[in-house]
Amino acid sequence: MNCFMNQRDLELLSAYLDQQITPSDAARLEARLEFDKELAATLGDLRAVRTVLRQLPKRRAPRNFTLTRNMVGLNPPLPRVYLIFRFATVVATLLFFFTFGMNMMTSRSMQLSAAAAPAPYAAQEAVVTDESMPAFAPGLTNPELSSLPDEANPVPTEEVVAAKLRETGDERSMTSLTSSTWQMAFALVAVLCGAVMAILRRIASNRWK
Amino acid sequence: MNEQALIADVKNGSLDAFNTLVLHYQDSVFNVALRILGDEEQAADASQETFISAFKSIAAFRGGSFKAWLMRSVTNACYDELRRQKRQPTIPLEPDADDGDEVESPRWLVDPNTTPAQQAEAAEVEHAIQHCLDALPLEFKTVVVMADIQGMDYAEVAIAIRAPLGTVKSRLARARLRLRECLQGFAELLPASYRLISDAALRSSK
Repeated sequence: MNCFMNQRDLELLSAYLDQQITPSDAARLEARLEFDKELAATLGDLRAVRTVLRQLPKRRAPRNFTLTRNMVGLNPPLPRVYLIFRFATVVATLLFFFTFGMNMMTSRSMQLSAAAAPAPYAAQEAVVTDESMPAFAPGLTNPELSSLPDEANPVPTEEVVAAKLRETGDERSMTSLTSSTWQMAFALVAVLCGAVMAILRRIASNRWK
Repeated sequence: MNEQALIADVKNGSLDAFNTLVLHYQDSVFNVALRILGDEEQAADASQETFISAFKSIAAFRGGSFKAWLMRSVTNACYDELRRQKRQPTIPLEPDADDGDEVESPRWLVDPNTTPAQQAEAAEVEHAIQHCLDALPLEFKTVVVMADIQGMDYAEVAIAIRAPLGTVKSRLARARLRLRECLQGFAELLPASYRLISDAALRSSK
């Protein structure tokens, strides 16, 4: 082939070979091919190359490339009710964690208040025990007596303190019982809905197969 | 096979419809991958990847030639594989000859239905052509594989490589020219009827 053959002629010959040029261009090229033997030889070479390539044996695919559902991550179509159960599971789970968190916070704050509450009662208790002192201490002076509790501000007795403590404890246990019940209910709903979802998924998968 | 109806079914999620298309095009896809990559195992993997990604992105197919669209996918898969090979070069699993050298074109892969002489001849020609194809720049190789080996028309090739028609013409012409130069080195292997004209002219002038 002529080393100086320009790119334009080469493209023209190649496209002519594949009948990809306009009829007018083809006619002009054919006219040139009549007298330009080098151009004709190049066309022959390109044709031979194309023929060699087309003779290349076509290999059969070594295996079938058909796809399975797993390969493309396809899931079986699920019934609409599945979405409702999924929503319920999510909501119940969130509420479970919410109540759990709230319960934790409440019991923590109660513990803190309980830790703070016994101090005044202890102080009062100390005062109550000192109430009997004047009877057995004749040498006690008036200013000392003035510090004792009067009728208007009765000092809580041991029974009152115990009742108050019982009341607080009952409140605490009642609150924790209520929130535990809610937690259990939410957990139960979440687990049940999850189980129903699994069953629905299994049924859909079996039907799909 | 009603291709458009099958494609519509695939867009509605029908895997069976897609598998019908796979069976129709798998040989073409595999051959393109084989000629671009030059390795049967890699070509099979690239073909499988092509069909998986084609199924997943079928919504992006906006009509036209499905074959060209599929060829674009396989070309991309091959380019990815070649890039991966560049990053992580591997040692080919090929049998050793008696002298310990690797046999580049193992005979044990050849179709057993032909005679040994035919097998040898066909294997040598194929090896020579593959050698010349591998020597081409990737973009030239892709075009020549699609146009000359797969027999796709220029418009389909242009769609497959996302290039203008003029680029296809230019790349194909230059690829053929380079192949001609390369194949001259294997002139003895080629069947007489396919010998290059200029080569024959050169011989007769001597």
